[in-house]
Amino acid sequence: MAGAIIENMSTKKLVIMGVTLLLFQAFAFMVGGLIAPSPTTAVHYLAAKCVDTSKHRQETKWFMPWGQDQCEKIRSFEEAMAKKIEANNIVFAVHIPLHYNEMSPWFQFMLVILQFDIAFKMYNQIEDGALVTVDVGLAYRDDPTSEWTEMAHSFEQRKLNCNFTTAKTFENEGRYYECDLLPFMEVGSVSHKYYLLNIRLPVNERKKINVGIGEIKDIRLVSIHQNGGFTKVWFAMKTFLTPSILIIMIWYWRRITLLSRPPVLLEKVILALGISMTFINIPVEWFSIGFNWTWMLLFGDIRQGIFYSMLLSFWIIFCGEHLMDQTERNRFSVYWRQVGPIVFGSFCLFIFDMCERGVQLTNPFYSVWASDVGTELAMAFIIVAGICACLYFLFLCFMVFQVFRNISGKRTSLPAMSKARRLHYEGLIFRFKFLMLVTLFCAAMTVIFFIVSQVHDGHWHWGDHEVQVNSAFFTGVYGMWNLYVFAIMFLYAPSHKRYGDEQSSGQCITGDHGANSGEDIQLTTTITHVDAPTEIYKMMGKTAQE
Amino acid sequence: MTGPKAFLTYASSVQGGAQSGIQECKHQFALDRWNCPESTLQLSTHKGLRSATRETSFVHAISAAGVMYTLTKNCSMGDFDNCGCDDSRIGQTGGRGWIWGGCSDNVAFGEKISKQFVDALEDGHDSRAAVNLHNNEAGRLAIKATMRKACKCHGVSGSCSIQTCWMQLADFREVGNYLKMKHEHAKKLEMDKKPARAGNSADNRGAITHAFRNIARTELIYLEDSPDYCVKNQSLGYQGTERRECLKGDKNMSQWERKSCRRLCYDCGLRVVEKRIEVVSSCNCKFHWCCTVKCEKCTQVVTKYYCARKENGRRSHNKSKRKHRARRH
Repeated sequence: MAGAIIENMSTKKLVIMGVTLLLFQAFAFMVGGLIAPSPTTAVHYLAAKCVDTSKHRQETKWFMPWGQDQCEKIRSFEEAMAKKIEANNIVFAVHIPLHYNEMSPWFQFMLVILQFDIAFKMYNQIEDGALVTVDVGLAYRDDPTSEWTEMAHSFEQRKLNCNFTTAKTFENEGRYYECDLLPFMEVGSVSHKYYLLNIRLPVNERKKINVGIGEIKDIRLVSIHQNGGFTKVWFAMKTFLTPSILIIMIWYWRRITLLSRPPVLLEKVILALGISMTFINIPVEWFSIGFNWTWMLLFGDIRQGIFYSMLLSFWIIFCGEHLMDQTERNRFSVYWRQVGPIVFGSFCLFIFDMCERGVQLTNPFYSVWASDVGTELAMAFIIVAGICACLYFLFLCFMVFQVFRNISGKRTSLPAMSKARRLHYEGLIFRFKFLMLVTLFCAAMTVIFFIVSQVHDGHWHWGDHEVQVNSAFFTGVYGMWNLYVFAIMFLYAPSHKRYGDEQSSGQCITGDHGANSGEDIQLTTTITHVDAPTEIYKMMGKTAQE
Repeated sequence: MTGPKAFLTYASSVQGGAQSGIQECKHQFALDRWNCPESTLQLSTHKGLRSATRETSFVHAISAAGVMYTLTKNCSMGDFDNCGCDDSRIGQTGGRGWIWGGCSDNVAFGEKISKQFVDALEDGHDSRAAVNLHNNEAGRLAIKATMRKACKCHGVSGSCSIQTCWMQLADFREVGNYLKMKHEHAKKLEMDKKPARAGNSADNRGAITHAFRNIARTELIYLEDSPDYCVKNQSLGYQGTERRECLKGDKNMSQWERKSCRRLCYDCGLRVVEKRIEVVSSCNCKFHWCCTVKCEKCTQVVTKYYCARKENGRRSHNKSKRKHRARRH
């Protein structure tokens, strides 16, 4: 790793590169903020109350809330009371989307949230820990006149978490409880144009099903999907970023293989970071437009998980390799203690994700949070992952602290060293501080933009333009980490300068030919006579002995 | 969509909305001297609403709010085929705008149609019309002010790295409570009386805009002081507080409820009559979430209190006599 490009680059060039990256960064923000619409849309639905008049239930019958052959509807349950319609004959019907609209594969996913409007009645209150059992069917069709095809059917239980904020008196009868949002359905691909949900709340007094759940007045649903425009912008961005990272990665690895020594651990880790970035970049989502691949959501989660754990491992190993003490590392096994929590933590999250989104592949209505055991299990996984994250950050902070302590230690002894050794250490210190600075900057930016986008949901007005803050956050932060990986692979690639001119300098993209002119201020010069890293370690050992 | 077709599509929702507004009004003013009588509420005929008192300002606001609320709800139910997406800010029709960036939400639709229908009832250009329109707007803004934000996290493993938030309608009772509060703090519009009385001449438009300048859009305003609601007023269609029910005796009641008999009866020079009524009510019920109730019938004796006129005005006569005597001594 001796003699990376970053050390041989002149300040001027470093600044030029920094500015170029910042311009790309600004561009990434602008693409999200100005071109893309907001990332997701929430659409409200109020279920129509259909009456199932048939004596014996037919499984194939679907109830349409509006349009042609719509069901027999009632406006309110007072009407049902008068007509002597029973709870078991009522079907709540919701058609997604509303009139004249169509769903589209560009929406990527659709999740539906369920809300009950439950009126407070003195003699019919919600019992503690009440469970609602819903009998729900989901159907689709692609033609407004064709028959509905069943997609899923399930009996689901949801816990009613409601509280009544005002005094429980006769005066306040009829007011609604405030209930928590209930996760209801999640589908990983939206490949059909029309969807229909039929919800029943069957009552069985003997089995205590749907008893003591208060007086339900309405069922409201909110469906959330990704906006098609955002998906398009996102895909375009991924399609553009994939070759950029791929090219720099190949270039980087070629440089390493051209060295006379085998690659060291840090170089391998940087390559792994590049590979995981490419893995997340490759726009396989394009296939979701043509194929009905419901596992795409889960796959996306896995890809993100791999990238995050790679990034976290990279930081640990980078710090470790810059510790500047006498122990020889350069082996992955040295870091098992630090990397272990990352792997374990992400494994926990993976299991949790498989439990939720994995099961949803077969039953879109499934939710881990619906059952007590599931909730406890999910919480356990999340808590373990959280502990792992805390452990990791403790390790990382400790390592960074160690590096800084060693740096200050080395600083005092620098003037006494031989020139070559001094330059070597200065190089190490510079490389470390640079990455530290850039990483902190990126992390801070991510956190700041995250907070801004959370506080300022929606959009800003900027002159006549409407800036979508949320979209800008996603594209901007995604672009930023791409640029981060790009910059690391470029700047921490071995510099070709020390091979003299026998290496072709044309393979370097931005190049550092100018450095040869000698006019620019050199930040550091590399040790030209030390080539193999093993020698450096030997030397480091020597210094330690001294 | 305008004209008769639009009218037919929305009419029932508008009517239902106005009705729910009135119901809410009746609930909110159940223990006030003015109790939201039917006569004030005929939205289409102007007779009842031609005065612009504090109370009519509430009626205007709650009706406009009710219409907007119902339209929004019915829009979510799919009752209208053009709701949400017809001419939203991003939306080209035919679903393209919808696929690109979604449609405007249903509340915007409800607001727009409510504006079209309710504000159209006000055809004058005088200060009274301006006040009514302002109160309609305040009612619609009350819906927005009481809306609540709900969020759902759906990032990696359900984390909050991606979050979608939306605004949802509050219970209509909350809108009523909010407007009741606004009613209590309603502001009187200070204007030169002469142009206001002169009617719809274009000259006073400047005066109207000037008067409105200092008033927030969310506040209710009125022009005239309320009449004495204790007494019957046939021209206003108001019955007075006689024979009104008031509440007494329960310790759990709020201050407002506890003082209701004083406010409705005593302060209006009426007395309170106690009536014992046998009420047949249902008890020991078994409920389903809808429609089915299995109950036993129980009879209960309930004491109710009503305002009544004092017998022949004898007591008040006595009082004045006593005073008279006192002076003599």
